[in-house]
Order: sequence, then structure tokens, then C-alpha cells
Amino acid sequence: MAVDYTQEAPVIEGNYSFRDISDIISKPMETIPDKKYFIALGISLSMFGVGILCWILTFVYGVGKWGNNVPVGWGFDITNFVFWIGIGHAGTLISAILFLFRQRWRTGIARFAEAMTIFAVINAALFPLFHVGRPWLGYWLFPYPNNYKLWVNFTSPLLWDVFAVSTYFIVSLIFWYIGLIPDFASLRERTKNKIKKVIYSIFSLGWRFSHRHWHNYEMIYLILAGFATPLVLSVHTIVSFDFAVSIIPGWHTTIFPPYFVAGAVFSGFAMVQNVLIFIRKIFNMEDIITIDTLEKMNKIIIVTGTMVGYAYGMEFFIAWYSGNPPEQFAFLNRAFGDYAWAYWIMVTCNVVFPQLFWIRKIRRNIIIMFIIGVIVNIGMWFERFVIVVTSLSRDFLPSSWDYFKPTLVDIGILLGSFGFFFTLIILFTKTLPVVSIAEVKAVLKQAQPSHHGEAQNG
Amino acid sequence: MSNTDYTLEYSKKPLPGKVFTIGIILTVIGIALLAIAYSVDYVRASFNIILLFSFVASISLCSIFLIALEYLAGAVWSVPFRRITEFLASLVLILPILALPVLLDLHTPFHWTHLEAIESDPILAGKRPYLNETFFVVRFIVIFILMSLFYWIFTSRSQKQDLSKDQKFTTQNIKFSAIFMLFFAVSMTIIALDWLMSLEPHWYSTIFGVYYFSGSVLAALAVVTLFSVILNEAGYLPKGITEDHYYSLGALMFAFSNFWAYIAFSQFMLIWYANLPEETFWYIQRGEGSWLYVSIGLIFVRFIIPYALLVSQTSKKNPRRLKFVSIWVLAAHFYDLYWLIAPNYSKDNAIFGWIELGVIILATGLIIVVFNLAAKNRNLIPIGDPKLKRAMEFRL
Amino acid sequence: MDKKLFCLAAIFDKVDDITKAAKKVAESEYKFFDVHTPYPVHGLSQKMKLKPSTLGYIALILGLSGAALALLLMYYTKTLNYPQNIGGKPTFALPAFIPITFEVTVLLASVGTVLAMLFIYFKFPNNSHPLHGTEYMDKVSLDKFGLIIEAKDPQFDEFKVKEFLGSLNPEVIMPIYYDPEDLNFKAEIFHPKFMLLLGVVIVLTAGISYILLNKWKQIPPRNWMWEQPRLNVQSSSSFFSDGFGMRTPVPGTVSRGNFPYVYSGLPDTMAKNLINPVLMNEYHLKKGKEHYNTFCSPCHGYFGKGDSRLNNQFPNPPSLHSDKLRNWTDGQIYHVITVGQNIMPSYASQLEPIERWQIVNYIRALQRALNAREEDLNE
Repeated sequence: MAVDYTQEAPVIEGNYSFRDISDIISKPMETIPDKKYFIALGISLSMFGVGILCWILTFVYGVGKWGNNVPVGWGFDITNFVFWIGIGHAGTLISAILFLFRQRWRTGIARFAEAMTIFAVINAALFPLFHVGRPWLGYWLFPYPNNYKLWVNFTSPLLWDVFAVSTYFIVSLIFWYIGLIPDFASLRERTKNKIKKVIYSIFSLGWRFSHRHWHNYEMIYLILAGFATPLVLSVHTIVSFDFAVSIIPGWHTTIFPPYFVAGAVFSGFAMVQNVLIFIRKIFNMEDIITIDTLEKMNKIIIVTGTMVGYAYGMEFFIAWYSGNPPEQFAFLNRAFGDYAWAYWIMVTCNVVFPQLFWIRKIRRNIIIMFIIGVIVNIGMWFERFVIVVTSLSRDFLPSSWDYFKPTLVDIGILLGSFGFFFTLIILFTKTLPVVSIAEVKAVLKQAQPSHHGEAQNG
Repeated sequence: MSNTDYTLEYSKKPLPGKVFTIGIILTVIGIALLAIAYSVDYVRASFNIILLFSFVASISLCSIFLIALEYLAGAVWSVPFRRITEFLASLVLILPILALPVLLDLHTPFHWTHLEAIESDPILAGKRPYLNETFFVVRFIVIFILMSLFYWIFTSRSQKQDLSKDQKFTTQNIKFSAIFMLFFAVSMTIIALDWLMSLEPHWYSTIFGVYYFSGSVLAALAVVTLFSVILNEAGYLPKGITEDHYYSLGALMFAFSNFWAYIAFSQFMLIWYANLPEETFWYIQRGEGSWLYVSIGLIFVRFIIPYALLVSQTSKKNPRRLKFVSIWVLAAHFYDLYWLIAPNYSKDNAIFGWIELGVIILATGLIIVVFNLAAKNRNLIPIGDPKLKRAMEFRL
Repeated sequence: MDKKLFCLAAIFDKVDDITKAAKKVAESEYKFFDVHTPYPVHGLSQKMKLKPSTLGYIALILGLSGAALALLLMYYTKTLNYPQNIGGKPTFALPAFIPITFEVTVLLASVGTVLAMLFIYFKFPNNSHPLHGTEYMDKVSLDKFGLIIEAKDPQFDEFKVKEFLGSLNPEVIMPIYYDPEDLNFKAEIFHPKFMLLLGVVIVLTAGISYILLNKWKQIPPRNWMWEQPRLNVQSSSSFFSDGFGMRTPVPGTVSRGNFPYVYSGLPDTMAKNLINPVLMNEYHLKKGKEHYNTFCSPCHGYFGKGDSRLNNQFPNPPSLHSDKLRNWTDGQIYHVITVGQNIMPSYASQLEPIERWQIVNYIRALQRALNAREEDLNE
């Protein structure tokens, strides 16, 4: 229990040599997957299959297959979009923001979280693409000179989304790839398989561990982190603008941008924590992805969860304070109207349950933290549902008020999006190093030179 | 980052008396100016007291926030500067004195106290349960007591640790920091809503608490940076504070400048875009006459110039640049608060005269005086902090 | 032994050794040296006396150009090329442009800087570097730290360098040679294998584009809205009892802008009620002349005298300058144009009401020209 503040807590537990680290991290890629792996893959693939079926139905028959209707024009699709984009945010936060803040515990989880970012963003981007109705004309969203002499509407937040999400995807991918280059080179040197060697050689681009390269490489990492940090804030901010620039009561609230970002990090961390619990167990990486790391993630979950709680309270208070009847009605309707059940699921899952993390024992208990992580994600999904659906179902025209009911296709797509996400993750664990080899080596105890003689330079 | 042979050599040097005298002189001039202001232009003076209060409250409350943040985040590099932050946090104790002139006469600055106006205004009548004199004063007193209590908790433990070097004080302070954060979030919001937003009682914005917080943290950071750099250069701090420490201070200021811009832009953007008359009038008021130039200037003063000054890596390590930016950022915070408050007493055009100057002089004087008084019998760095050795060895 | 030497390499086991060695070699006379480590070692850049990375400037330039590009694009499209009123915002709505400006800035700066680093700074991809496939690379990628001094260094002397490296106390010293295959390799554009690859790529790209654009995009549901459950013009329909797809409007329907003429057969009320709404000015006279010359002049003649191009082929129309016509009200002339008179047909289908009034004005002007009054001379 007693913590010694005079010593820095080690990032990696145990005494490992550089060779051990390479061995542990490369092992999943060098062994043939076992039965459990295929069972897991089978489950997620069948979920994915249901999703594909529902996507095909949507593709052929159109969005009429969904529950969206007047007045609730945004239903499960936009809820899922916001949810998945949010999941992605934890990855960039870990890889960029924690890097800028020199939080060294990020090394064990950064690669994995970045991969989750990329998968989540792909997942999220599908929803608005299909929501436009004719996804094969999706390229109309980009400004290019065309024979209609028309330009896209640059003042529309939905177009900002196009730019934000595609930029976010590209930059995350590049960030991820830049981190992977030295690892590809390590694998290239390790592997005995000729085909693998060719593949790794192509992706490593001929990296040769030169310090003249590391010198620029560290700079680019800093620059990319510097760009990715405001970028990740901007993405969910722009997603929140989709709602907040409108005048729908319950959507038009100035706190939306930071509130959405906090919520995104909140759910993203819960998801990363959930998946990492399995990874560290299955691949014997308990010393690299340590319990301390998980505890720190839980702390971030409670901080962001409290921020989200603050935003709920603030929204409610200002709705009353504003003296604006539609605004007051919108919030009362959220809490006590037709969707009160969703609202209270959201509040309990997001505000009440994470408070258990105040207790240190719970923060460090794998099973309980896993359950709370799941609860948080349920809560955050419902948060988006509440925002999207309750406000729309009670718009300015009482004659059109209606209750939104999802169809089976809606539910199938939601299930399929989880299947898609987990399929990608499961494939990722066996094809690429789930932890950065070079970065973990750099935080080992014996990795960095002692300070002798550096004080006068530094 | 271990096995160095760094040993801490610190012996307390008293701060020069000259500075204290300057502080006293500034305070006296400031008080005199504001006292004259009360007799010359009563309305303007009472708004200026709000300006002074919100400025000092920013620095004091956010200094406590920075202390708590250090404990919670387990930050190491900031330990040598924590005492300076604690001294600045003691400004919290003089907040009631600053608030007193306003609390005695809420009627002048606050429109919602005008009962005859409320009668014909159902919106204001609806806000009566929150916006009324008694509750306003009660809120202020509760916040003051809570914040002073936390100030006392943090500093007293930190002081005791200087002598005993017991690590349990750190553990205790970490726990209190977590609790503090909850109260702090609510207190900051209430101060922003009560003292700044309710000056225009019809206007509302959910992000306003965060807006005031973002600027306030920046101001607190700026004072801490300024004092740290000056004291370190003058040799009051022990050897071992390197440009890596400076870099961290500069980077935090840079980060919070951007954060402020983000919050300010979000608020403006959403109100501008939705274009609802019950919200836009607040910005329209700040776009009338010369206020337009003040508003545009705010973007440059508060964001673009600090951004440009701090963007490069070398500039964050440069003590001269840091000192300049700190002063700039402090001035910018004052500018920001002036932009929030002054349109309420000078609707058509921006005015800046000796009364506002008096506020600046008084605030500067108070910061210097309180800092000197707080530092009098205390060490300038927390010598008993278990993280101190690591902090001095901190490298990026 | 015709192998060409690339460099001499030394391998170290401890990170402290390599930092010391790097410092020494940086202080020596050798310029073409490099250090290889499995991960970035802190402080090594200073030891090697490397200049600070210039990538920051590239990012700055690219970022600024990204911002400028985005703003210019939005300014051009929204203000110059296709201005639109969206939500009452100005065409150049700066606050609304900031999100996209920011995104493009970030995109260009980060992608561009990464590409610049990989392809310009590092000259990647480079899998044929002499260090690849050596035992040295195998070790420094895993857990050892290596230092090389290249043979192209002007101060390079194999024995001296060996001695120097030996003084650094490495684990091993080894020479690294160029791969003779790499040295003799010449890039040929017309190499059959390369041409074959090129051919395959071209065929694939063209084929896929053809199929996607011409075939795939026309299979339902991607049929561009031309197949819809609707009735085409002039087609039959079994739905309606008369078998016609097109419907006639409900009796009494008035289409927009075509208010029916109510005075046919009512010559008296018409003269009183119809009042010329068109001003007698240059614009309307010009228009009136245009319409008159097109529709009236074939019979009435260009000056209204009844001496037209069709003279004597039809019953000649009367002159428009008769006293009877001069005394008609504007409404009466309008009425005749609208419903016709004797052999003259109705012009209602050819001329809009306003055009008829313009013609009336022009006829008035023609009449005035032949029957000028005293006061007209004054002007």
C-alpha cells in the first residue's frame, strides 16, 4: 500500500533483457494460433457476418430499412457513428497527448490503442456514408470540380465531419505506421521465413536503426504528436458541432465541444482497458501492460467520467437558468419523458458506476474494472442515443412527435460493427506487434545512459 | 533516470525588502485610486471591483488547482515550483476583502437585484431562486470557506513535510486533491456564473464556467512561471533547475493558451452559427463601436501572439522569452476579464482610464505583498518533498 | 579479394559504452560515422554533435500553405465561383471556415512532413544498403549498439580506424563489404520483367476502372434514379380507366401566372376596366417595337399604315391611324390583340399580357408620330 515517492515507478515490471522483450512481443506472430483464437475469431466473424447482411440490405433497399423516420431522422446510425469515433479517441490521446506530457506508462499500450483508433474510425465512417442514401456517390462529399459546376457546402458541419474524419484517419494511420517502421525492421531481422522477410522488408522501407535517423524520427514523432493532439480534440468537437450549431433544444449547448471530447476519451479508455485485459493475459504481457498502467487508465476514466457528469449537470442547470421554455422542456423530457429509461441508464452507467474507481482496490481488480469498463461503454452508447433521439422525437412541431423504434437491421448493424471491430483486433494481434518493441526497449531500466557528465550539457 | 549524485543544497535566503516596499506602495496607490474612483464614478468603480476580484480569484483558486493537479498527476518536474504556487494560493485569504465592496452593494453592478425590473420580466423572475442577494452571498461564503480549507490542508501538510520529510503527507494530500477537484469544479463555475455571467442576467452559456477556468489556469501558470524564473535567476532557488523545467512550464502555458482558444472559439462559433437572438446579443454588444476592435484584439492578444511566442521548442526553454510571455499572458487575462465585464458599464465604446489602471496596480501590488508575506518564514522550495530529488534530476 | 569495403563496424554491449564511443568519434577527425541502436538513446544526438532536426520548419511551411490553400479554395468556391446564401451567413463566413482550414493544415503538415522525412531525409525505401543482411544489422536490431566508420571518409585508413575502434573497447570489430550484386546492379527501364509488370498494372487499372465506371455503377440499385416506379410522359397506364398515363387538370384549374382573360365578349366593360399598367418609357417602347415588328408588322406594316409585306394577299387590314383607333382606349386595343377581330386571330398564346401592353404603347407612339401636336415641337 505504501508508495515510495522518491523512486520512480518502473514502467516495465521485472528484469527483462532487450532480447526478452523482442521475444515476448514477437511471439504471437511466430506461433500458429491455437483453438481459442479461432473460436474468438469465429464469434466475431459471425457477428460481422450479421452486420454485412444488414449492410447489404441497406445498400440494396436503402435507408428505409432502418427505423429512421420523421421526426427522428438520425437514429442508430448517427448514434453509432458518434460512439465509434469516440472509441477511437482514446488511442490518439494515449499516443499523442500522453506522449507530449511525457507519461512513460503509455509505451505499453500506445500501439494497441492506436490500432483501435484506426479500426474504430473505419467502423464509424461507414455509418454516415450509408446514411447519405447512395453510398456509391460518397465521393460527392469532396470538393472537386465537376460538370454540375457545384461545390460542396463548406459551411455545413456535416462537411466538416468529412474533412475531420478523413484527416483523423490518415494522420492516425501515418502515426501508427511511423511507429511500426522500426518494429518491421526488427521483425525483418528476426524472421527466417523468406516470404515474411520480403513483406517486412517492404514495410520497413529499409530502416537500419541509424541514430542519424532516430534523431529525425524522434522529432517527427513530436511533431505528429503536436498535430494529433489538437486534431483529436477537433474531431469530436466537430462531431459535436453537428448537433450544437443547430437550434434544436438539447442540442444547441455551448458546452458540447469539450463535453463530447471528454465523453469520447471516457468511452475510448474503457474500451482500450477492456481489450487490454484480454491481451495481457493471453499473450503473457502482464509485465509490459502492468496493473499500474491499468490503474492509471481507470483514473483517467474517473476523471473524464466526472467531467461528463459535470456537463450533464451544467446542461440541466443552464436549461433551467436560461428561462427558455423549449430548452427547459427538452431537458425535463429527457429525464422524465418517453426516453427516461435511456436517460437513467446513461446517468447510472456514466456517472454513478465509475465512481467506484475512487477505491484503490477496485481500480486494481481486473474483474471489477472490466465490468465497469463494459458498463461505461453501454452508458456512453446510450448517451449518444439520448442526445440524438430524445431531442429529435420532440421537435418544434408537436403534431409530428413520434417514438423512435429501431428495426432488426439497425440492431444487426450495431452488432456487426462490434464484430467488425473485434475481427480486426483479433487479426491485428497475430499479424503485427501489439506493443512497440523499440519503445518498450527504450523504457527498460538498462536502456538509457546514466546522467554522468550530462548535467553540464543539459 | 537514477544513480546520479545530485545533492540538494538549499539555504533559505530572505526575499529583498525592496520588493516588499514596492508592493506596499503599489497597493496603497491602487487602493487610493479605487477609493477616489468610488467618489468620482461610483458605477464604474463597482464594476472595476468585480474586475479586480475575478482577476485575483483566478490566480488564487487556480494556484490551489495547480497544487492539487501536481499531487494527482504525480508530476515530478513541478515540485520545485510548488511552494511558489502555494504562496500565490494564499491570495485566497484576501478574497473576502476584495469582494466586500460588491457584496455590500450588489444593486449597482447586478441588474437582477432590481426588483422593479424583475416584476415586468418573467425570465428574470424565473431565475430568482438562483439569482438573489442572499443566495449569492451564501454561495460566496461557502466557496471561500471551502477553498481556504483546502488551501490550509495542502499548505500545512506541505509545511510539516519540510521538517519531518514524512511521505504520508504526500499520500494524504493526494487524497485531498481528488476531493478538492470536485469542489473546485463547482466553485469555479459558480464564481464564473455569479460574478461574470450574471452581469448580463439574460444571457447564458453552458461553457462559461470552463471559459473562465481556462483563462484562469493560464493566469495562475503565468504568475508561477514568472516568479519561478525570476527567483531562479536571482539565485533564490537551489541549483539544478534546468531548461527542461522551463520547457515544461512553457509547454503548459502553450497548451492552456490553445485550450483557451479552443473554448472561446467553441462558445463563439456555436452562438454565431445558431444565431438565436437570446444569445447573440452578448456578442453583438461586444461588436459595437470600439468594442469591435477590443474583441478582435482579444484573439490576437490572448491566442495568436502567445502562440507564436511559444510555438518553437527553443522559445519554451528561453527564460527571457518565458518572463515576457508570462507578463503578456497575465495582461491578456486582465484584457479578457475587462472584455467580459466592461461592456456592462460602457455599452457604446470601450473606455480605459485611470480607474482600470488602478485595478492593475492594485492587483500587482496585492500579488507582490501577499507573496512576500507568505514567503516570509517559509522555504521557497518544499525541501521535505520526497519527489524533490527526482524533480531536480528531471530531464525530458 | 575484390570485395569493396563499405565500413568498419564496432559492436558494444552497454548503452553507456556507446554514448562514450559516440562522443569520442564525434570529436575525432572522422566525419562519415554512424551509430546504430535498437531504440532511440537519449542524449546521443548531442554526443554525436548532430544539428537540430529541421523537420519543424518543413512542418511549419506545409502547415501554413495548407491553411492558405484551404482558405483560398473556400474563398474561391463560396465567394467567387458559386456564391450562395446559406443560413443568412456571409458568403465568406470565416468562423465556419475555421474547422476545415484547421483540418487541411494538419493533414498537409503531418503527411507532408512524414513523406519528406522518409523519402527526402532518409532516402527510403532503401533495402539494398550494404548494412542490410549483415550480422551487424541482426545484432543492432536486437540488443547491441553499433558504431561504424565509412570507407568513403577522406581520413579513412583501414588500420588506423581499426586501431581507433579498438581503443573504444568494443565487443567485436568487423568489416562490412558491399554486396557485389548490388554494386553491379543497373536499373533498366526496358527490362522485360519490368515491362511485363508495367503491362499488368496498366491492364488491371484500365480494366477495373472500366468495370467500375461502366458496368458496376449501372447495376441496380446504382441506376442513378432513372429506374423508378413512375409514369413517363405520353405513356399508357392500366391504372386509370381511360388508359392514359397523363392526366388532364381538374376543371377550373388555373396555372400559375396565367390568369384567364375575362373580358372576351364584353366590349363595354373591357374599355372601362382594362387600364394600361405599362409606363410609356424607352424600355417598354423598345420592347413594344420588337414585339410589334415580329407579330403585327406582317399585316399592319412597320408603321401601322396597313401596307405590309403581305399586301393584297389577304384582305388588307385597316390603318392604325384612323380616327376611330386613335380614340380607342388602350384597353380596347389590348382586347383586340388578346381575342382578335374579324380575320385577325388572337395573339394571346404568342404574347404575354405585359408584351401586349408594350405593343399598345408602341402603337400609341406610331399614332403620335403621324399626328404630332403643337407642343411636341417645343422639345
